Amino acid sequence: MAGTSRLRSPVEFSRVLFERMASINLAVRKMALYEFCYAVEGLYPEDGWDSVQLDAQEEIERTIRQRKYYNDIHTKPREKDRIVLDASITRLTRMLFVGLVQGEYSQDWVNRLFYFDLRGFYFLPRTVYFTEAGLAHFGGEPFRTFASRQDQFEHVQDIGYLDFREANREIDQAFIEMIQNLIEARGTPILITLAGPTAAGKTEITEQLLEAFDKMGKTTTTIEMDNFLLDRDFRDNKPMGKETTHFGLFKQCLAEILQGKKITIPRYDSLSASSSHDLDGNLKPGCRPLEVEPADIIFLEGNFPFQMDEIAGLIGIKVVYLTDDPIRLKRKWKRDIDYRKSYDPAHFRNRFFKTQFQRAEDVYRPQIEKCDIVVDTTGAAIWVTPEIRASLA
Amino acid sequence: MFISQTLSSPEAFSKALFEKMKTIQPAIADLEPYEFRYCLNNITPEGGWASIQPLPQAGIEQMVNSRAFYDSIQIKPKVDDHIVLDKQIVWLAHMLFVGLVTGDYPEAWVEQHFYFDIRSFFFLHRTTYFTDEVLAHFGGRPYRQFEQKQKAFEYYQGVGYKAFAEANAELDALFIDSVKKIIAAIGIPVLLAIAGPTAAGKTEIVERLNRSFEQDGCKTTSIELDNFFTDRDYREARGINSKGKEAMHFDLLMQSLEDITHGKALSTPRYNFIDGSSSHDLSGKLKPGRIPVEVQPADIIFMEGNFPFLIEEILHLIGIKVVYLTDDAVRLKRKWKRDMDYRKKYEENYFRNRYFKEQFIMAEFAYRPQMAVCDMTVDTTGAALWVAPEIAEILERG
Repeated sequence: MAGTSRLRSPVEFSRVLFERMASINLAVRKMALYEFCYAVEGLYPEDGWDSVQLDAQEEIERTIRQRKYYNDIHTKPREKDRIVLDASITRLTRMLFVGLVQGEYSQDWVNRLFYFDLRGFYFLPRTVYFTEAGLAHFGGEPFRTFASRQDQFEHVQDIGYLDFREANREIDQAFIEMIQNLIEARGTPILITLAGPTAAGKTEITEQLLEAFDKMGKTTTTIEMDNFLLDRDFRDNKPMGKETTHFGLFKQCLAEILQGKKITIPRYDSLSASSSHDLDGNLKPGCRPLEVEPADIIFLEGNFPFQMDEIAGLIGIKVVYLTDDPIRLKRKWKRDIDYRKSYDPAHFRNRFFKTQFQRAEDVYRPQIEKCDIVVDTTGAAIWVTPEIRASLA
Repeated sequence: MFISQTLSSPEAFSKALFEKMKTIQPAIADLEPYEFRYCLNNITPEGGWASIQPLPQAGIEQMVNSRAFYDSIQIKPKVDDHIVLDKQIVWLAHMLFVGLVTGDYPEAWVEQHFYFDIRSFFFLHRTTYFTDEVLAHFGGRPYRQFEQKQKAFEYYQGVGYKAFAEANAELDALFIDSVKKIIAAIGIPVLLAIAGPTAAGKTEIVERLNRSFEQDGCKTTSIELDNFFTDRDYREARGINSKGKEAMHFDLLMQSLEDITHGKALSTPRYNFIDGSSSHDLSGKLKPGRIPVEVQPADIIFMEGNFPFLIEEILHLIGIKVVYLTDDAVRLKRKWKRDMDYRKKYEENYFRNRYFKEQFIMAEFAYRPQMAVCDMTVDTTGAALWVAPEIAEILERG
C-alpha cells in the first residue's frame, strides 16, 4: 500500500510532508527540503512513523478544548540533563504529521484548528478570544476594519519590530485618534488600562500613546498594579485580586489621583517578594513608599487591571490590545529567545503551548467581555461597545 | 554627557553603544533600542561598565592572533549547573563595547579585526584564510571574480539554504563547469575531494555536482574518510588525538584509493561513531560479525570532509582537490538556523563557545594547509574562484 510505504521510509515521509506543510505554513516554502528534513528528524518516533496511532478528529477537537489538556502539560520535562518537549505536545504534532501524509486529516481541518510554528516545529491549537458573549458585548460587529497587513507575516519565519509597527500603522493611528477624542469628551484626570497577551505589542502602543498625549499638551504618569501586591507569604499563590492586594489602599489611591492629588503608594520588591506596607496598610519601619505626581492621564499597568469590579468602575477607558498567537509566538522567539535568552527553547515551547489557552480563559476572554475597546491587530479591526460608539459619533 | 557618566549609567551606555554598533553591524538597526538593551543586559559586567579596563589595541591584536588564546577557551564552563559563556569571550566583548563607547577603539579598527554576531551577541575574530603562502599558490589573484551577493546577508540575522544557493549561483555554476573541464582533461575514474569548514556549503555543492554528473550519464560514489578511523579506545590509549594518518587504517586507505581509481569495487572499514569502534582490527582484518562498507566502482568518487587531503601521502591519488570556503560570519548565521533552529542540536552557550574557539584552530590546522596544496578554492563570500596555475591552463585550453 502506498500509504504504508511512505510511513516506512523516513526520507519519503519527509518529502510528502514537506509538500503538505507548504500549504499549511507558507514560510515552509522558503525552506529547502534538506532543512525541512533536519527539523523533521527531531520528531522522528523511535519505532518509526508507522508506529503513530491516529486519534479520531472529533476526539482531537474535544481534547484541545479542555482545560485539563493544558493543565497536564509539563513545562520542564527532562531527558538526561536536557529539557525536552512535553510528551503530549510531541504526540499531537506527530499525529498531525502522519494524518496529513496519510490523507486522514484534511489540510482544511488542520488549518482551522491549529497553526504550525516553524521555529518551534510544532502544531499549536488556535486560541479563541472572541466568544459569543464577547461578540454580543460589542454588538456583533467591529466598529472599524482595515486591510489585513499582517497577512504578509505568514510568509516569514520571524518578525522584526519595524515590520510589525509598519503593518499596524493604520489601525494604531485610528486607535490613538479614538482615544484622544474620548479623552477630550470625558475630560481629565482619567485612568486608562491597556491589557493584552504577551508580545501583543503593548509596550509599543503605549509608547505611541504617550507621544500623542505629549503632543496634546497632556501630562501622563503610570501606576504599576504589582506595587499593591501583599507579601508573597500572605498570597497563597492566589492570582491578583481583592484578597491578595492592599485593596483598600488601592481604591483610595486611584480615587485620590483622579481628584488631581499627589499619592503615596506601596512599593513591591519582586526580588524579596515583599511589600513596603504591612497587612493593615501601614508603612513598615525602614521601608520607602513610592510617590506618584498628579497627571492628566494615568496608565494603570498590570495583567489583571479590570477584573476587580470595584476598580473597573474607576477606570475611564479599558482597552484590550490583541495580536494572534502565531504572530506573538514569532515575536517572542526573537525577543525572548534570540535577544533576551530568557528561557531554554524547549521550556519556552512547552510554556507557550500550555499558557495561551489558560490565559485566554482566565484573563483575556473575561476582559474582552468587560472592556470598552478591543484592538485586534491581526484581524485588523477595532471593536467598541455601543456606549463608546455613541460617544464617538 | 561626560564619558565617566555614560559608563556609570547602564541606560546611557546602552544608548551610546547602540549608535556605534549600527555602523559596525547594519542589521542592528532591526532592533528596537529596548531590544538591544535586553541583549546587553545579559552581558553587562557585575561591576558596571566603568569597571572594564580595555587593553591597548596592540595587546588585543596580539591576543586574538595567538593560538594559546583559543586553546584556553572553555566550551562547557558551568555556573550553578548551567553552561555559561567562556570568561574570555565575555571579557573581549566587554573591552570592545567599552572601547567603542569611549572612542578608544576606532570603529574601523574593530571592523577590521572583528565581526559581531547579533544572535550570539558578541564579537568574534575574523579568521584569515588567504595567507601570503596561499595567495602565492594561486598566483596572487583570483581566476574569476563575481559580484559579492552575500553582502546582502549582513542585513540578515539568519541565512537559509535557498537564499545562500541563490547568492552563490554564478560562482557555483562556473565551479561545476570547471570541474567538468578538468575531468575531461585528466580522465576517469577520478577522486574528487572537497574540503571546507562547517556550514560552508559542502553538502549542498556536492549534491549539485552529483546531479549534474548524473545528467551527463556519469556514475558517482563517495568514500567517507571517517570510516577509516581505528578504534577510539586504541587512539586514546596511545594519546593519538590528531586526525592524521596515525589515527587511521592507513594502509587500507591507501589501498582503497588505489583500487577505486583503477575501477575496482571496494570493501572498506566501517566506523561506528556511537561506540567509537571500527569494523576492522589493528592488523586491518574484519572483526567477526561486523559488516564492512561496499563501494561499487564509479567514474567520479567524492571524498568529503573537513580535511580529506591533509595527509600528504594520499595527495597524489586525488585527482581534484577543492577547498569550499564561506566566511565565518555567514557560516555562523547558517549554523544558527541549521543546527540550533532546525536541528536543535546543542545547548546554546556551548554552541557559542565552541564556534568562537574552533575557527582559528581549524584554519591553522586544516584549511590554510589544504588551500596551499589544492587545485581550486571556491570562496563563496568573496564570490571568487581561485585556481592553481596548472589548472588555469587546463581551463583556458578547454
